[in-house]
Amino acid sequence: METFVNQTTNQPMIVYIWATWCLPCRTMSPAIARTAEKFSGQVELRKINADEHIEEINALKIMGVPTVILYQHGKETYRRTGALSESELESLFAQAASSQGKPISEPTQTDRALRLGAALALLAIGITVPQAWFLALIAGVVGFSAVYDRCPIYKAVTSFIKDKLRPAVK
Amino acid sequence: MKITMNEAMWDRVVRIILGIALLYLGFGGVVSGWLGTALGIIGFVPLLTGLVGYCPLYSLLRISTKQG
Repeated sequence: METFVNQTTNQPMIVYIWATWCLPCRTMSPAIARTAEKFSGQVELRKINADEHIEEINALKIMGVPTVILYQHGKETYRRTGALSESELESLFAQAASSQGKPISEPTQTDRALRLGAALALLAIGITVPQAWFLALIAGVVGFSAVYDRCPIYKAVTSFIKDKLRPAVK
Repeated sequence: MKITMNEAMWDRVVRIILGIALLYLGFGGVVSGWLGTALGIIGFVPLLTGLVGYCPLYSLLRISTKQG
């Protein structure tokens, strides 16, 4: 299986797996093409038709379409199955372009499971023991840390803050 | 600052379970008095390090239970 490394520039690469029969892909395909055009030269886009590259799909352990995978320096640093809106794609491409090789920090599935499990245990203690009510609040924080990257409010707030802090482009 | 995880999965699971157990013993009323409070406070340490996957003590001692 080919490795997803841009041999010439080592720039980040986004692999987009799609299929002709996939309805969300019909919306996402033009959006990802427009976004890739905007970030041309900074982030490379590789599109893979799931029906025509079955071996590659199996090797990548693709569970559904559409799937977007980000590679930085040949290593997978982000994966998402399911449609992404154009603003989410722009955010992903922008992060990939500005990360300078640093992996995007996002909880892995195992991290999510550990955090959610801990949150549930803390919530159980916080609810059942009156004097430990604050553990229920901590459970909320721990539980949120498991899914913060999927929260639209969190994304909107952090995007707003980043825009305010980013130096004006001349 | 990028945190480099230095704990294996089993290490993290043990820490989280231990942390929750200490929190329950301390704040759940099983152990009363100052000892209970101390246990509860101490329980945050393994819980937090287990959730994050990084132990500052491991880093100081230059050890890691994480493979690769």
